[in-house]
This record gives sequence, structure tokens and C-alpha cells, in this order.
Amino acid sequence: MTRVRRGELVLRYVLLIAVLALTVGPFLWQLSTSLKGPTEDIYSSPPTFLPQHPTLHNYERVSETIPVWDYAFNSLKVATANVVTNCVGAALAGYALARLRYRGRRVATLAFILAMLVPVEGIIIAQFTTMRELGLNNTLIGVVLPGCIGAMNVLLMRNAFLNLPYEIEEAAYVDGANVWQRFLRIAVPSVRGTLAVVAIFAFMGAWDDFLWPLIVLSDPSKFTLTIGLNYLHGTFANDERLVAAGTVIAVAPLIALFACLQRYFFRGVGEGAVKG
Amino acid sequence: MLMPSTGPRTRAVRVRRQLPTSPWLFAAPGLLVIGAFILYPFVSTLVNAFTDRRTLIPGEFVGLANFRELLHDDMFWIGLRNSALYVLGVVPALVILPLLLALLVQKNIPGITFFRSAFYTPVVASIVVVGLIWVWLLDERGLVNSLLETIGVGRVGFLSDQWLLLMSAMAVTVWKGLGYYMIIYLAALANVPRELHEAAAVDGAGAVRRFVTVTVPAVRSTMALVGALSSVAAFKVFSEVYLMAGPSGGPAGEDTTLVMLVQRTGTGLTGRVGYASAISVVVFVVTVALMLLVLRADRRGES
Amino acid sequence: MPVSRRALVAAAVCLVLPLSACGSGGDDGGSTDASGKVEGDITFQTWNLRANFKPYFEGLIADFEKKYPGTKVKWVDQPAEGYADKISADAAGGTLPDVVNVSPDLVAPLAKAGLALDLDKAAGQYKKEYLEGAWASHQIPGMTGTYAFPWYLNTGPLFYNKSLFKKAGLDPDQPPKTYDELFADALQIAKNSDGEVSTLANVPTIEDFGRYGVELMNPAGTAFAFNDAKGVELLTKYKELYDAKALDPQALTATPESSGKKFLTEAVAMNPGSALDLGNFKKQAPNLYKNIGITDQITSTGHVNMYVMGVMVNAQTKKKPAAVAFAHYVTDAAHQMSFAKQVAIFPSTAGSLDDPYFTTEDGTDETRVRVAAAKSLKNAVNYTPVLFSEQMKTALRNEVAKALQGKESPKEALDNAVKACDTLLQRQG
Repeated sequence: MTRVRRGELVLRYVLLIAVLALTVGPFLWQLSTSLKGPTEDIYSSPPTFLPQHPTLHNYERVSETIPVWDYAFNSLKVATANVVTNCVGAALAGYALARLRYRGRRVATLAFILAMLVPVEGIIIAQFTTMRELGLNNTLIGVVLPGCIGAMNVLLMRNAFLNLPYEIEEAAYVDGANVWQRFLRIAVPSVRGTLAVVAIFAFMGAWDDFLWPLIVLSDPSKFTLTIGLNYLHGTFANDERLVAAGTVIAVAPLIALFACLQRYFFRGVGEGAVKG
Repeated sequence: MLMPSTGPRTRAVRVRRQLPTSPWLFAAPGLLVIGAFILYPFVSTLVNAFTDRRTLIPGEFVGLANFRELLHDDMFWIGLRNSALYVLGVVPALVILPLLLALLVQKNIPGITFFRSAFYTPVVASIVVVGLIWVWLLDERGLVNSLLETIGVGRVGFLSDQWLLLMSAMAVTVWKGLGYYMIIYLAALANVPRELHEAAAVDGAGAVRRFVTVTVPAVRSTMALVGALSSVAAFKVFSEVYLMAGPSGGPAGEDTTLVMLVQRTGTGLTGRVGYASAISVVVFVVTVALMLLVLRADRRGES
Repeated sequence: MPVSRRALVAAAVCLVLPLSACGSGGDDGGSTDASGKVEGDITFQTWNLRANFKPYFEGLIADFEKKYPGTKVKWVDQPAEGYADKISADAAGGTLPDVVNVSPDLVAPLAKAGLALDLDKAAGQYKKEYLEGAWASHQIPGMTGTYAFPWYLNTGPLFYNKSLFKKAGLDPDQPPKTYDELFADALQIAKNSDGEVSTLANVPTIEDFGRYGVELMNPAGTAFAFNDAKGVELLTKYKELYDAKALDPQALTATPESSGKKFLTEAVAMNPGSALDLGNFKKQAPNLYKNIGITDQITSTGHVNMYVMGVMVNAQTKKKPAAVAFAHYVTDAAHQMSFAKQVAIFPSTAGSLDDPYFTTEDGTDETRVRVAAAKSLKNAVNYTPVLFSEQMKTALRNEVAKALQGKESPKEALDNAVKACDTLLQRQG
């Protein structure tokens, strides 16, 4: 079983490459489109995969049109805050749901499950009204708050903690460690992988969100990247190259982040973060 | 993870001695956030479902009028049909394909970590970006049609035919979800004892038989979880169809899904918030029912 | 799962009680008096203008602040997509800016909710500065008053692809002038290209019905009427075109963007546009630009269609004099004129269209299009009824699609569309 037969190995690589073409190909096509110059026919048949005169001109035009870097910085702030709050909040709540015993624990668990099932598209105005009552509309805090501790993330953390052997904590308890010490020194370090998963989800969610920041923010200096890139669509709807450059700008940081964190990520998954 | 406290390990925990703590302090931030920004707005949606509230006009209580109107609204039935079709089309694919993919990347052969990460890329990209990419790919003059024409099949109106559109959107959902569920399966497969496979191999079982007799039973509960997660997500589908079929939902609105209908009727300055809330309530009830259904089927299968 | 029912009920009650009936109404919304000193901080919201016209607006605001010391204007610009969502969230939440760039269909619900200032009362003295039709475009059936200053207008010619016309055996210098000619040419192009080339890329919208001479609403503005014989006639024609592939087979799912793209890639022979598009053709489709033909919008009423942008004042603004003064400042003749010179739009102020800029050609296509458009604007009509909401547009579009697909007869489809729109008119308020 340990040695893979040669024929099987070849078959495996063929399949892997086929799937690779399907999953990554579309992104590369987008990248290629964004690098094509204005004189190149992007509709040709058969298609030309490589730009004949690669140019960064489209990226220049995108950044001339909208203050991409300011918007990216705002997105970065929002996404970072979202990662921190989600990791901390979800770890705390997940620990409470998995390890602590108290009256109302089941209600609390149910609350998180229900929250996950709510169709968000239907409640956005009500969310905005709440935010305005708190005086947080048109602030980056207002952008972060509704998603700052995602129900899904809490349930992920709960699962991770449930899967930790109980004995380790028991021992610490016997040694006189209080609940905060057990949480910080024993429980959290053991679920680092799941935290990486939560971090990636949180970053992705905040970096991608369009409708909510649009509703909450009025002040262009506070706009996030997705709203900013929307100007492209409105202004240059006819130029696929520019739209492509915009999407590459939006997606590249996520792919880079994921590439850096993927080791932790896959380990986190291995810890049974999402097991039934 | 959706299944509240099942499985032997959890039960073991519950039997254990209670640890004295300040548990509410731990749970409070999370509860506060989802309470204020998800559950509270949702409860107000529930209340609105029984009013004729509009975006700029506070509503009056109208009893079940919104729900009665739903029964006679063709668009509602189209939406219900499409959301249900979406579940039927997407869920089997998302239960089976990622499992096969997980088996493919499970074995540690050179370069496999690269492939695993690469397969996850569509999950990382935002749905808006994914929508733009696929609309461009499936365009009448886009890459896919150029290729089809080159090999002599001719151009296909992926984005103009009612059913092709719905299927294209489903394909995008599957494409984007493959990596996500692959990861879940990878985690589950890691727990399948290797001895089972070896024993089956010694017995002379082929790859297909081993898959059916060893792998599938071992990841059953994970399959149920994937089924539950993906059916809830599929029933609530919005972005893929909205981005590919357009805000009015494809030709004659035939591709409208329920959540698209919520968005269309309830938003904007002339939105009928009350009526849209009634549709939201239907969506919510069906998703809860779907989840219970899948989980119950799993439990019955287990015993 | 045995959840304590009492706990749930208690939670629900706590959550429901503070439900505020937010929506319309503030206590200072009643007064329309805009006299008083022009001072204070106001916010001005535009719609997708920052990307291209940042220096223009920054200059405009600086001039205003200089003219009225003590004022400060904060400019916010929103992207094209989601503008209605943004305004409705702000309107429902009471955070609408003081001066807002709107279109007539956005003004109607805001005016009904008491959020748009009646300018007949608050700024009636400025009325004579604007074209009569433009001023009237922000009046709402069933209400008295005018709820926004008219701002820029736009209209445009019909572009056509001369080489596609020639290929179909048509005279490229004799574009269709009437609907009958248009339909005949379209059928011929489709026939001679074996259905490969369509002439039209969009299904008829409410403005097309208007331009065809269909009565869209009853005179009182309380019900829709576009299911009359004339409406059915137009839709029947379109059905014929669709069956012959003279109307693009993908028209049912087309957006203005996608049909523009089709014209650009020479898959469709005609497309409505504006002077703005010429530059776009030149840059992106040099081949097409060489063969571009320009002709007038086709209309049976003698009036072309125009789009109107407006600037409204929030009825609840705390700085009414400054807000009204600024809204007027943005839309006055001098500033509309200088804005028109930045981009291919047209001023809505009286007399501006007689400026040499809009009356003399210098031989280029740009000026030719501009002069023709300016001329046609003098009696142009904004056909889209102000009460025609997004939801109604979708309802009409979907019924039209059913007729084209042959699932319903044109008469049935329009009857259904009128019924749906009437229901929406009553229900959405």
C-alpha cells in the first residue's frame, strides 16, 4: 500500500493536472486578459492564452482612476480587525460552548446555530438601522461589527475544543490552574490550526464584502477596496481588460495570504476542525 | 459541527465533573454580537412579515396577508422551484466530487501540497470576482465558446438560455465549493484506519469496491454533514445566479431564486419590506427543515 | 432539542420591544422656508462622478465656499452599483445627505415619504432659469410641487455599423428613419446573414413604448395603460424580430453593458448611445469606428427620449438655506455649461442649448453628434414615468420576455405587466 504503482502514479498526476487546469485556469485567463494591451483582440477564436504585448498599462489606469492604495489600506484595516475579533471572540465563545458547564449552554449553542441559518440578504436594512442607533454608521468600526464574531467561526472553534482530549485540562485543573490559565496556556495553543482556518475565513469575508460596507459607509475616504473597484465596473464596463485588472487586484492579496498560511490551515483541518 | 453534542466523545465530556468558571464572560462577546446584529434584525424581520411595511413607510399589521399573497405569486413559485432545483443539482455533486478529489490528493506524492492549495484557490476568491471571471469565460465570445468553436462544437448560449444559465450557475457553485468540502473530507479520511483498506485489498477488492465498502461507510457522517451544509447554502443561493443571470433573473425572470426575490422585492426606495420579510421567513423555515431532514436521515442510517 | 421555551420567549420579547418604527418623518420636516443666511456644513452626494470629474467638483465646491463664507461642503460620491440601496438605507435610517444627486424615479418615493424638499415653495424663484420640461421632470403624479432641481440631460443618436448594413445589401448611407424602416432593415440583415447578425440587442423597455407613441399611464397617473393596441403592436413587431433573430437571441438577458459590448464586437448592427461612446469606439474598436454610422433616434411621437438627472434637497436638512443655495449653485446655467464642456452631457438651463458650443459643427463626428442631440433635446421627453420603480421595470421586462418566447401572446403579456405594475403602484406606496 505504501508504494504507489507506476501506472497509478501517472494516472494520478494526469488527473491532478486536469483538475488544476479547471480550478486555477480561470484565474490565469483573467490575469492574461488583464495584461493584454489595447491593440490585442481579446475575443479571438481560437483564443490566445498569452498576451502578445504584455503591459501593466491596465493596472496603471485602474490606480489612476481610483485611489486603489487608500482603499486597499482601509480594506486591510477592516480585514485585520475582523481577524483579531473573530479569533478572540470565537475562541472564547467556542470554549464556553465546548468546555464550560452552565445553565443556558444549549440555548447559547442554539443561538449560534440559528444565526448561521439567517438569510443575511433579508436583514441588511435592519442591521443598518441598528448601526445608526449606535451612531456607528459611516465608520470602519461599523463595517467590522456585524461580522466581528461569526457564528460559523464560533461553531468551528467549539468543535475544535470538543475534540481536544479532556485529560490534559483535567491535569492542569488538578494543578490549580484557573479557567483563564487553562484556556490560554493549554486549550488555545492546541487549536492553533483551527484558529488559522478562522483567521483565513475572517480575512476573506471582510476583504470581499461589498453590500454591507456600501450601505454603512458614506465617506469616500473610508471606502474599502470592493466598493472602490465597483467604480471600475461603472466607469469602464466595456473594457474587459480593466475589469480583469481590478479583479486581479482584489483577489491577489487573498491568494498570497492563503499561500503563506496554508501550512497552518491544512494542519488545522487535520485537527478535525470541521468534523461531524 | 452543526450537530449539537452527538458522538461518544462529547457524551464523555458531559459525564465529567463540572468545572467552576465564569462561563458567561467567555460567551458574552459572541452572543452580544450575533444577538445585536443577526438575531435582533432577524426578529424584526419576523415581525415585519406580518406588516405591510415599505422602505420609507412604517407598516401596519396585516396578519397573514403577505403569506396569502405568496400563494398566488407566480414569481414566488418560480423562486421556490429554482432554489429547490439548486439543492437537487448542487448537493449530490458537492457530496461526491469533493470526496473523490480528497482521495486524489490524500496520498503524499511529490508536489501534492501544491495541488491541495491550488484546488483551494476558488474558495479563497470572492464570489463577486468569481462571478466576473465566469461571466467573462462563458460569454458568447468568451474563452469557453472560443474553445468550443475551435473544436467544431459551435457556440453555446450558456448565459442566455434559462436552463443553461441555471446549470452554469450550479457549475460555478460546485467549482467554488469543491476545495472547501475536499478539505472537510481530507480531515475525515485521515481518521479512516489504514488497516481497513489493507484488509480489503488482501481480500482482492478493487479500487471501486474498496471505495464503496470501506471509504464510504467510514465517512458517512461527514457526507451527511457536507449534505446538510451544502443544501442549506444551495437553498439560500443568491450571488452566483444574481451575477450570472442578472438582477431580473434571466430570461423572463425564470432563473430567480427565493433569496433573489427577497432582494428584489424588499430593497430600494420602493421596497416592500413586509412582503420580502415573509419570503425570508419561508427561506428560513425551509433551511431549518432541510437541515433537520439530512441529519435525521443520517441518524436513521446509523442505527 | 429541548430548549427552555420560557427563555426563548423572554429573549424574543426583549428583542422586539425596542423595535423602533424608523422610517419617514422628523419633526423639522414641515417647513419649506429656505430664506435666511447661507451658512453651515452640508453634505453633497453624487452618483458615480468622482472617478472622472474629481477636479471639477472640487473646484465647484471651493468656489461656493468662497462665495458664501461660513459654509463648508462635504462631497461624497457613491459607486454606480447599489446607489438605490445606499439611498434607501440612508433614507430609512435618517442619514440622508443634505443635497443629493437623484434621478426622477428615485425622487418619487423620497418625496412621498416627505424627505424631498418642495422646490416650488422653497426655491420657486429659480424655476424660470430652467427648461420647462426639465423642471417638470421632478414633479410627481398625485402630488403638488417639484422635488429636485434639474441637472444634466442626456440623449443620443443611434449608432449603426455601416459595413454590416452593406453586407446585408442595404445602403449604408440610408439608415432607417421610421419604425417601419427599422423593422424592415432588421429583418433583411437577419435574413442575409442567416441569423448571424442582429440589428437590435435589447428588449423594449418602458421608454421604447413611450417613443413608439404608446400612452403609458392614464392622465391622472393612477394606473398604467401601456397594454393598448399600440403597445401590443410594438410588442408583436418585436416578437417577429426575435423569431427572425433580428433581435439578438440573447436580448432576454442583455444589460445595457452587454449590448454595448455586442455592438463593439460587431455582433449587432445598431445600438443607441451618446456622444460619450464615440471616444470609446475609437479607442477600443478602431475597426468599428471606421465604419460607424450615426443617425437620429427613431420616434413616432416627434419627441426623442432624454434622461434627466436632478439635485434634490433633503427636507429634513438643518441647513436649509445653504443646502438650497448649493443645489441651485451646482445646477445654475454657468456651472451646467462648464460641466457640459467636461463631458458629453447637456445643460437643463434655459438658453444654454443655444450657446455656440451646442450649435456649431467643426466637421468632427463629436460636434455633429453634440449639435444634433442639443437640437433634439429642446422638445425631448423623459418617457419613463417617475412612478415606474425598479420592481415594475423587472415585471415589464419579464412579461415582455414571455411574449417574445411565445409563452404568452403580446396582449396577454402586456395585460399581465400592467396588472403587476398597478398592484405594485398601490402596494409599494
